[in-house]
Amino acid sequence: MLRIGIDVGGTHTDGALLDGDRLLSSTKAATSANVVTGITDAFDIVLADGAVTAETVECVMIGTTQFTNAVVERRELAPVAAIRIGLPSGKGLPPFTDWPDDIAQTIGGMSFMVNGGYLYDGDLLAPLDEDAIDKAIAQIARSSVRNIAIASAFSPLNAGPEEFVAAKVRSAIPDANISCSHTIGGLGLLERENAAILNASLLPFAARVVASFEAALAKRGLRCPLYISQNDGTLMDANFVRQFPALTFASGPTNSLRGAWKLTGLEDAIVVDIGGTTSDIGVLQSGFPRESYNIVDIGGVRTNFRMPDILAIGAGGGSLVSADGTQIGPQSVGHRLLQEGLIFGGNQLTLSDIAVAAGALNLGDPERVQDLPDEVVINARKKMHAMLNQAIDSMRPGGRKLPVILVGGGAGLVSDRLEAATEVIIPENSGTANAIGASIAQIGGEAEQMLSYQDIPRDDAVASVAAQAERAAVVAGGDPASLKVVDVSETPVPYMENGAMRLRVKVVAALATNSAAQRGAGV
Amino acid sequence: MRISAEDLDALALGSVFLATGGGGDPYIPKLITANALKEFGPAEIVSPQDLSDDAFVCAIGSVGAPTVSLELLPSIDEASGALAAFEEHMGRDVDALAAFEIGGGNSLIPLLAAATRNLPMIDGDGMARALPEAQMMTYAMAGIPPTPSVSYDYNGKVQHFDCPDPIEYESIIRKCAVESGGMITTVEHPMSGAECKGAIIPGTLSFALELGRLLEQNRGPSEAIADSLAKAFEGTIYGACRMIFFGKVSAKSSRVVGGYDVGEATIEPQGGGHPMKITIKNEYLLAQVADKVVASVPDLIVILDAETSSPINAERLRYGQRIAVFAIGAPAVLKTPEALAVLGPQYFGFELEYEPFC
Repeated sequence: MLRIGIDVGGTHTDGALLDGDRLLSSTKAATSANVVTGITDAFDIVLADGAVTAETVECVMIGTTQFTNAVVERRELAPVAAIRIGLPSGKGLPPFTDWPDDIAQTIGGMSFMVNGGYLYDGDLLAPLDEDAIDKAIAQIARSSVRNIAIASAFSPLNAGPEEFVAAKVRSAIPDANISCSHTIGGLGLLERENAAILNASLLPFAARVVASFEAALAKRGLRCPLYISQNDGTLMDANFVRQFPALTFASGPTNSLRGAWKLTGLEDAIVVDIGGTTSDIGVLQSGFPRESYNIVDIGGVRTNFRMPDILAIGAGGGSLVSADGTQIGPQSVGHRLLQEGLIFGGNQLTLSDIAVAAGALNLGDPERVQDLPDEVVINARKKMHAMLNQAIDSMRPGGRKLPVILVGGGAGLVSDRLEAATEVIIPENSGTANAIGASIAQIGGEAEQMLSYQDIPRDDAVASVAAQAERAAVVAGGDPASLKVVDVSETPVPYMENGAMRLRVKVVAALATNSAAQRGAGV
Repeated sequence: MRISAEDLDALALGSVFLATGGGGDPYIPKLITANALKEFGPAEIVSPQDLSDDAFVCAIGSVGAPTVSLELLPSIDEASGALAAFEEHMGRDVDALAAFEIGGGNSLIPLLAAATRNLPMIDGDGMARALPEAQMMTYAMAGIPPTPSVSYDYNGKVQHFDCPDPIEYESIIRKCAVESGGMITTVEHPMSGAECKGAIIPGTLSFALELGRLLEQNRGPSEAIADSLAKAFEGTIYGACRMIFFGKVSAKSSRVVGGYDVGEATIEPQGGGHPMKITIKNEYLLAQVADKVVASVPDLIVILDAETSSPINAERLRYGQRIAVFAIGAPAVLKTPEALAVLGPQYFGFELEYEPFC
């Protein structure tokens, strides 16, 4: 399949044109203030040699950090009315509890708590209070707030109450943008509700961003479907992003991991993405990023998105090096490397200067570092390797040594040997791994339930949750014929007599090209 | 001493350390307790010695699965409602509240209840750590019957219990929790001030707070904090605190057996050698190297993140984490033959005699 991957990062926009597994061309340029121009420029460069015409491109995949940045920078966020279904439990913990004041003021203001929801064993927590729901909806209808987040106790187990309230909102407020928590997060009501609120708040911005992506495609005569990459390294179609912008929050690191997989074909490996300020270390398991089990903080708000497990260490191309070379970072000149690094005529000793002095990197003016004492260069390279070895060692799964893939702009900072690795691979085009990662055409789906193997045999339980995940993947644009379970995770619930278990299943599928194209044309 | 909302981060951190892997995430109990302390003002803490002998004291805490309370969110009402129901049942007002266990979220429930009623919380608890069952509290070991007691669920439903045998009582309230949405608050072990002085492990609340402050101030590699930790435990009821292993989690498995979260973690040492095996039954109960016991319950086995020295509970322990394992001596009251009969290694099904780790 002929396709273009674009990664719109905070500092760089990368582009890659692929035919099947073959990389035809790629580009890396500074991100421009106008996203449309940045993307059309990337299209122009990857299509420049004329070997491939815009009409023959079958698919465009975009990875973007715009939604993460919007939350972190408190911009483009719309006010949200939150409806929680879970009384009489949780009285003291209303929606927006424990949010930083600035973002709570930007988004918050309206929240409602009503009786309803379910218990862990599937029994009713309380009968749904329809009167209270109608009153809440009437109050929202009278206000100017049109983004609504709905969360209900144990909705990953039974989404009925959320769906019921969403239907009521839709009929009373036809122009409402609704985000139901069960569609976006797993167990953990507060965190899932927070995720739904952030998502609801981003919905108007998502519509504008997707429109700008589509405008960029239209400008260059690309009539193919558009996909956006999400946290777990799978894709969602443009319509899906309009509903779930929050699912792109960690797509940056994920794309670099997936790109490393694509560039090397290694299913199990450790990936080190060396940037300007940090080196981000992640793990590939069966070709997908290993996920973190920790609570994820987005702009100060606790959420429970599934995110790749990334260990960031303060050693990148712009990291400051002490005069004797024995200390590195965590301070970094960041994007000011181009002014402040020795090789660019500045007076700060950075890791890039060390790599250039060692002849490992071709950047700036090597003459400016030729007087650096050998000892300093050796010390700094030793220190960098020690830091990387230790970090890689702590990420190795199950005590196994794995190959290490170096990607990102700073791959040259590392010589080719690391004791913690079986081998070190710097693939060709490692600098544009992100865009390549974005271009990987797979659709994912996942589902989670709390249940007991005493009530349902394990195999039946897994099959039932997998079927839910498969439905989610097909809805997101996956080809039903190619569904594959890639992860089953079981977490026992302690202190319970009946063997309660949190069961989560993740599936992937190939892109359903035809149906996806039809949906794309119908937008 | 008074405890206010500003002290809760430190207290929760100290109590997660003393939870030895159990007790669940303290985030939500911390939030509701902070709300209560802000609304009702700081809670007063009294030393057990300062209780009058005829004071009326009881223990309060949560029973059930911490994971359930991620969805079935607790509220201030459960603690205050349980206390009110208990007082009504007993026909008498309570003078001071004690904790079941200082480890995990149950260190905060008495504080929360105390704040709502302007009652003092007693500086002490019944375990000096976290342990899974009611008969493992020193109140029960001192012969104070667990009942009359009351339970209070999310819906305000009150149940009364009358069962003097602590082991039988444990199975009754566990069943009640399972049938009440997975989590209940109970008020039990009614006792006099004089009885409480003889049964409670004193000073554990203020110690947890002090320990939490130490951990807050010394975020960083576990090797760097080891000496400060050893000093902090020196001369306390625990005595010794020592790093017994350093390495990386190379395997972890767990499953539910008989109501326990049962599992095992393997930790590979840096630079080769025999790995350490940690046996988990809700809490970290047994640490072995090459089939030799290094530490076992009732001694405390605590796992810290090697880089930040944050305690890691069993639910969050996973492959690849670099960790430091610490052992801490159990207070003498948990090491008597009577105590070991209900909370020693053999009670948990390990075929070995308890030997203090140092």
